Amino acid sequence: MMSRTNIIALIFLIIMGLYPLFADSAWLAIGTTFLVFSVVAFSQDIILGRAGAFHMGHAAFFGMGAYTTAILNVNFGWTILATWAPAVLIPVIVSFIVISPIIHLRGDYLLVATIGINIIFLQILENDLFGLTGGPNGIFGIDVLKVFGYEFFEQTHMYYMSFILLGITLFIMKNLDSSKFGRAMFYVNKDDVAAQSMGINIRYYKMYAFAIGAGIAGAAGSMFAVQYSAVSPEAFDVLQSIMFFTIVLVGGSASLPGVIIGTFVMFVLPEIFREFETARYLIFGLAMIIMMILRPRGIWPVKFGNIPSFLKKGKK
Amino acid sequence: MDIFLQQIVNGLTIGSLYALVALGYTMVYGVMKLINFAHGDLVALSAFAGLTIYTSIFSNGGTSIVAVITVFLFTAMIIAVVGVLLERFAYKPLRTAPRLSAVVSALGAGLVIQNAIMLIWGPNMKIFPSDLFPSTVYDINGVVITFTQFMILGLSSILMIALYLFINKTKMGTAVRAVAINQDAAQLMGINVNKIIMIIFIIGSALGAVAGLFIGIYYRGITFDMGWMYGLNAFVAAIIGGIGNIPGAMFGGLVLGLFNALISGYISSAWAETFTFTLLIVVLIFRPTGILGETVAEKV
Amino acid sequence: MRILTKVATLVALSVFLVTAGSAVDVIKIGVQAPITGKYANEGQSIDNGVRLVIDQINADGGLLGKQLEVVTCDDEGKAQKAAICARKLVNEKVLAVIGSYTSGATEAAQTTYYRNKTLQTSDGTSDSLTKHKYWTFFRNSFQNSAQATFTANYFVKEKGYKKIVVISDYSSYAVGLADSVTKAIENEGGKVIYQGKIKSGTQNFTAVLTKIKSMNPDAIYFSGYYTDGGLIRAQQLQLGIKADFIGGDSNDNPDFMKLAGKSAEGTYMINFPTPDFLPYDAAKKFMKDYNKKYGKDPASVWALMNVDGLSAIVHAVRETKSLDTKTISNYLHKLKDFPGITGPVSFREDGERINTKFNVYQVQADNSYKIVNK
Repeated sequence: MMSRTNIIALIFLIIMGLYPLFADSAWLAIGTTFLVFSVVAFSQDIILGRAGAFHMGHAAFFGMGAYTTAILNVNFGWTILATWAPAVLIPVIVSFIVISPIIHLRGDYLLVATIGINIIFLQILENDLFGLTGGPNGIFGIDVLKVFGYEFFEQTHMYYMSFILLGITLFIMKNLDSSKFGRAMFYVNKDDVAAQSMGINIRYYKMYAFAIGAGIAGAAGSMFAVQYSAVSPEAFDVLQSIMFFTIVLVGGSASLPGVIIGTFVMFVLPEIFREFETARYLIFGLAMIIMMILRPRGIWPVKFGNIPSFLKKGKK
Repeated sequence: MDIFLQQIVNGLTIGSLYALVALGYTMVYGVMKLINFAHGDLVALSAFAGLTIYTSIFSNGGTSIVAVITVFLFTAMIIAVVGVLLERFAYKPLRTAPRLSAVVSALGAGLVIQNAIMLIWGPNMKIFPSDLFPSTVYDINGVVITFTQFMILGLSSILMIALYLFINKTKMGTAVRAVAINQDAAQLMGINVNKIIMIIFIIGSALGAVAGLFIGIYYRGITFDMGWMYGLNAFVAAIIGGIGNIPGAMFGGLVLGLFNALISGYISSAWAETFTFTLLIVVLIFRPTGILGETVAEKV
Repeated sequence: MRILTKVATLVALSVFLVTAGSAVDVIKIGVQAPITGKYANEGQSIDNGVRLVIDQINADGGLLGKQLEVVTCDDEGKAQKAAICARKLVNEKVLAVIGSYTSGATEAAQTTYYRNKTLQTSDGTSDSLTKHKYWTFFRNSFQNSAQATFTANYFVKEKGYKKIVVISDYSSYAVGLADSVTKAIENEGGKVIYQGKIKSGTQNFTAVLTKIKSMNPDAIYFSGYYTDGGLIRAQQLQLGIKADFIGGDSNDNPDFMKLAGKSAEGTYMINFPTPDFLPYDAAKKFMKDYNKKYGKDPASVWALMNVDGLSAIVHAVRETKSLDTKTISNYLHKLKDFPGITGPVSFREDGERINTKFNVYQVQADNSYKIVNK
């Protein structure tokens, strides 16, 4: 028997897999960005929703992946394929270095510290550190993926690459849920004090969540850089982090359908309502307030009261 | 030496603006444990509202003390009303909801205010007239201070002292402190918590309005999205001083203003924000409750 | 399931018909400009200027018997938005893109247009814009290094400044211009005593200016944009720094005067001929038409530069009778003295506009300009 979450994930993958058949290239571009952003949103959810760490600097890790690919490709002539591993590893390493000293901070303090990390990252980009980041203009002319002489430059190629990345992310999330991490996080979310006294090392698991989240965001960043063939600082500023943060909370934290809906509501709806152009963010802000009042736990909240399947006897 | 003193004067000017804004953050946080992300945008709104009031009432130029006082009073009143409405509609329904829901609501409210400014006044930069305050410049042994700077330093000091006295010496101030410590207990003691929260928002927003007007008068160019930058700096100031702590916000604002000016003047203006947030993170690691905050045992 | 397939086919078919239908009798021209954001008044002027000219062409029977249609994309003067705009305009299948205003946003979009064989013409002045020698790119203004040589010559030879301070923001355009000016001044035998950078949009520049005050300079040159330039000038005088203020080409905007207030008087600006000083009849007619349609003047000369870029492309299409961008580009690379509203338009093989002319303006008490160079 498949769990409900798995069925929803499968349906989502099928819909997104068939989407290019019905979309023109402009909508395909929106679809691609939607896939990339939902990958980032899932990685934000690992940290914020599952590990419960108030993290509002996720665009920094997303940007680190994007800039790693851009710098290695444009400045050092690496192929896009070769930049993938560093684009994942560098955010992981950096997250370990910068987050571990502040991982013990509680709630709002962690939130502000992670905003700070995002701002420092942005300033490094803008100030063109070591002449690598290209300053406020960023880096242009990023190559497309080339394998065995074949160039993947069309919008459909970009779309399916993002699609595969989403599939991998969902697979990681599924394994994460049934792993030791998933169980530990379930207890922490239920009652962190009790979990701690049971011997669960909260700091260790939160750091673990940050590292995985940063790595996935880095992979998405690399994809983002290739799609637009350009990266620049403002795409990774705090407002972007706030958007990822909001996606998770509006959708429903630690809830797979919630995060998908969140990404759709926060990213695709504003694209659809482009005609309202100027007024759309006003309506959007209003919607955020009303949504939180009517559904404080998100549009599709996860039910922590239920006993998850991995704790039930005889089922795995 | 006079270069150093000049940097101090510059730093104190911007620092007292941060302090005024920081007070709004710290009072709301102290009572509601909520980061009021919309506060910075209220500051921006006040600059735009003030400009419109000034140009519509005193369109034929001619600044008088009457004009300036009118603009300040009207703007502060309008922003205070907006602040109270903000609390009523965006925060009050969420008092018992999970902490992060209120944060999202605050972010949404910020977005609403910011875009309302854009829809009303347009996306372009608006520019304050240069003759609101006399352009007198005082030169004290090579250290220059303009009339505007003098007004900023003077008026914000007066407002901060007044607030300090209000909180510590009046009956209502005592009630505010009581609500900050324990809302339920305060309620049981017969304090009207709703009323206290309303007062907090009136005071915080009015102080923010004064800061917003000064930003317009001092820097001239105002944009609909400028609230974010001032808000963030002020919020950092509030944390450095010890969030929830009123003298802490004043102290934090001035410290941050000075720190910024000295870093920009003697190291690099390009890395000013990096220094600001490194300072913040260092303070959080070693003194999570801020420089003036009390160390409290973690409640379970 | 069958119904679903039918619906899907219908949707796909109608999408195809709509795109195919519109592709036949319209030629699309893209505008990529900062319609909102800090440089909104420049971006809107470019968009207005382009739309004015296109309306006139359409009224005269269009181009090769087809009507022209303008598609505008707002890049907010930001590189990432510019990259998104580039994708969008390419997807719209535009023939050519006019813009953007800032060099950074132009450069971010350049590669995408080149890969998709879409023509682009921009007023960006960074030397780096023609570095790649993309055959799709045409600069309709003049490059920084030319301006730098003129500036240095004026500072050292005509004004005899001894102690010069050069300030820029962090954009590649302003840094590039500041570096070229510094180098050119030193080549002329002058001395730059300090080269500093400010962060655009910070509003408070007193820290850097206080530092500059202690150096007692003759002249402060700012290579960035008007939104910061006006404030730097105002704060300079507030701090009692007596030096001359000279702004590079991007300070030429009415908002500079508003931001600087009374301090604007006496400011120098170095730029190409501004609209009021263009001696050509076509320019006067354009200004009149623009004012009639929009009730105000274009923000600065940049809109006119871009209009010239557009006119040159339209001219090339007429002459070659072709909508093949490579053919048009080949023609433009050999274009000599096409009568534009900002002067004769000629391009070099790398898309660079040649035959430069600069002026030094001094802002008068009523905020009007007066030419002060010899």
